[in-house]
Amino acid sequence: VKTWERGSPWRVVAVPVALALGAVGTIAASRSGYSLVLGGLAGATAALLGVFALPSLSTRRVVVLLLGVGGLGALRHASFAGADTSSLLVCWAAATLVALLLVDRAGAEQMSPLPHGSPLPSRTGEVVRMSVTMMVIAAVVIVVLGPTITDHLGRHVWPGVDPSFGDAVNAPASLRASSELDMNTRPGVSDRVVFTVSAARGEFWRGETFDQWDTHSWTQSQPDLTPLVRDGNKVAVTPNADDVGALQGQTLQQTFHMEAPFSNVVFAAPSPVEIESDKVLEQRADGTVSAFAGFGRGSTYTVTSRSSLPTPAILRASDAQPIPNSVKVQYAERPETTERVQILAREVTARAPTTYDKILAIEAWMHTHLKYSINAPLAPRNADVVDDFLFRTRVGWCEQVASSLVVMARQVGIPARLATGFVPGRRDGLTGQFVVRERDAHAWAEIYFPGVGWQPFDPTASVPLAGDAGTSGSWLQWARHHALEFGLLAAVLVLGAIGAPEVAAARRRRSEHRRSSWAARNLHRLERIGTRAGRPRAPAETPREYAAALAAFLHDERLRTVGDTLDADGFSASGTSASARADADAVLMSLGP
Amino acid sequence: LNGPGELTLTSIVLFTLGAYGVAAGAASGEQSVVAVGVFAFVLFVVGIIWPIVALSGVEVDAWAPADAIVGESNDLHVRLYGRAPRVEIRVLDPPGQWWVTAAPADGVIPHLANRRGVFRSVRIELRTSAPLGVFVRSRIIRVDLPVEIAVAPRPAQAAPRLYDYPGNGLATTASALHQRAGDTVRAVRPYIAGDAARLVHWPTSARLGSLVVREHEPPATLGVALIVDLNGDRDVVEDIASLAAGIGRATLAAGGALWCCTSEVGGPVSAPVADMRELGRRLARARDGEPGVPPEGWPVETVRP
Repeated sequence: VKTWERGSPWRVVAVPVALALGAVGTIAASRSGYSLVLGGLAGATAALLGVFALPSLSTRRVVVLLLGVGGLGALRHASFAGADTSSLLVCWAAATLVALLLVDRAGAEQMSPLPHGSPLPSRTGEVVRMSVTMMVIAAVVIVVLGPTITDHLGRHVWPGVDPSFGDAVNAPASLRASSELDMNTRPGVSDRVVFTVSAARGEFWRGETFDQWDTHSWTQSQPDLTPLVRDGNKVAVTPNADDVGALQGQTLQQTFHMEAPFSNVVFAAPSPVEIESDKVLEQRADGTVSAFAGFGRGSTYTVTSRSSLPTPAILRASDAQPIPNSVKVQYAERPETTERVQILAREVTARAPTTYDKILAIEAWMHTHLKYSINAPLAPRNADVVDDFLFRTRVGWCEQVASSLVVMARQVGIPARLATGFVPGRRDGLTGQFVVRERDAHAWAEIYFPGVGWQPFDPTASVPLAGDAGTSGSWLQWARHHALEFGLLAAVLVLGAIGAPEVAAARRRRSEHRRSSWAARNLHRLERIGTRAGRPRAPAETPREYAAALAAFLHDERLRTVGDTLDADGFSASGTSASARADADAVLMSLGP
Repeated sequence: LNGPGELTLTSIVLFTLGAYGVAAGAASGEQSVVAVGVFAFVLFVVGIIWPIVALSGVEVDAWAPADAIVGESNDLHVRLYGRAPRVEIRVLDPPGQWWVTAAPADGVIPHLANRRGVFRSVRIELRTSAPLGVFVRSRIIRVDLPVEIAVAPRPAQAAPRLYDYPGNGLATTASALHQRAGDTVRAVRPYIAGDAARLVHWPTSARLGSLVVREHEPPATLGVALIVDLNGDRDVVEDIASLAAGIGRATLAAGGALWCCTSEVGGPVSAPVADMRELGRRLARARDGEPGVPPEGWPVETVRP
């Protein structure tokens, strides 16, 4: 039977193989920037051609090799594609498992069934049962070992590819360190993954801050960079003395894996206190860090950040403490802006009792009166960008929104600054990693709270306060935290998949056993012994006659007694004694099953 | 892993994927890649352990008809105990075809008897690669037969050997009596109650006025004492055994009496043979050594290399 012909067990194998290679094609397409649909179709077509169009080769070998090559390709691409492919990897894994089960099953179905033997279990039932069982076993092992392997084998520091001059020139502005942020430049919005982050919780991945506003651009008042002294791969970052969170807050470790060809901004959750990297790093006075020669694709660095985890109550209570003078001088002075912006700031915050409420009031006003659009018109040259945004266009993107918030906050004496970097990105459900793309580049406001430190605020991004954010992200972490429930669920699934048919068969056997009498069972046994010896029971022979005939045939006179016992037990009213049964059992046992 | 089984191409693929996934995932920090690597390793390990465990719980019982002939297929009845969704089974000596079934199972394996002898056990090979085809686990089990199998030599073409011999009542087969009894009347005697009516000799009874019955000549005693000497080269010896089987079968089929002299494990054996089955069993047991001595007066035919 040819592979494609009706009745061939190999036909059905083509389906999961096509799915597996379709997933691989999609992963490769996502990596290369081609159409995902085309990538998937190309993979599936290659699989179908491999299975059906190579009749001279063993289908089993072709399928296994296709799955292997496809798997290597999937892992190769997934290793560098920013982990946004984990759902496709799960699809590939499931399809590969089913394909392997079907391949082995198809091989068995091609063999001759044992004459008069038991038929194989149904193909669908077997594949479903084994798939569930294998998946559960794999899930348990992955939950137990996956994070451990990553922790022990994972690289916290990796040099990656050295970026070229062209990489640096062509890098988007969000990845290049600069002491000035021009508000008349539109940010990139591509889907290209720039880096992934392994961290317990999502934060704004901050790159730089700006504190000086001249109505159309932001600059840094202290742009000087200080080289950091390294101790091996580790460098300690000296936090700003007024940044209370950086000095006393809770730590958060993040490992960044660069996917972009170049970045000399060291992104980190505020505020970095220690960095593991093989690059030469430099620090600014605001606590942000940049890499002298930049990171290339594949570079990995690990940051330990420290920050307060405030709640609204803590932030409201912080007003009781004085703002340090240095902060006031650098961040709370009113920046240059129009009078109507000043009036607006005062009006919006007039009824708010605390700093925190004032910020919320500004955010609420912005939410009501302004619209977010990356396609908003640029402000005219020499125009006050904030004024233009708040009173003319009322449409803008994160930089206008965040700048407006900072400018308005400063109008009412609140220390504020503009921060740029990236939003946390989409968290991968399987791995818990944050996948950050070029379009995730962002600007937001940082507000200073005495006793707490700098806190990010942004009406355009739904990032909760750190104190309210949950820490469990991936289902791996969830499963580890709920080990008992997860283990029970896994056990139930495995028992259900494997045990249910066994239990049903055992019940059926017990039921059949109960229904047959001792005499009937042992007559059957006697018949088996006779058949084996080459003297089957004739249709007209009674048990007694048959036992006598066998006794003569096998030269074993004990069988005559067995025949008598069978007759008495089966047909006499009084039955037979337990000892006679036991004797007969012993005789029959000695002659085989 | 020649002993317990063998790894397959699938195992190489899964191991490679596992190693690459774990290494690449750990290096790049992509936990999804690590997870896929661990997944491949899990399939690799489970794919090895599963068939080992599944096959370790399977036991086999076997039995077969007591008589077989070299070159003919015999039905070996097998019973598989234990639980395994897929088991492949074949009989060794010589290695036969693979058959697939689920355990527990009863089944019949056609098996070619390829050499003469008496066999008290058979070697059965079980294997399974289920469910993933990563590792082909195989076990060879020697199963004791409840009834030994006597594999008789394949009878060669031969003419019957029918010689007169003194007759000692051993030629008692119905065919012999029928064929050589003839109708020769030796005498008549008075009827005795119980004599068959067909034996009444009516002309004489009429002449004498009382019933008389015929008495026939006793049947002629024809047959041969076959001395089977199996000392010599193995291949030639088997040809000799086949020739002895052919002569014996032809002689018995022609109604002759057969006396067979062989050497068995216990020493020389000299005994009459009643039918083909008994002849087959005698020749199956026959081996090199001094054959038994034929009875006095019997015509002797010796077959030897």
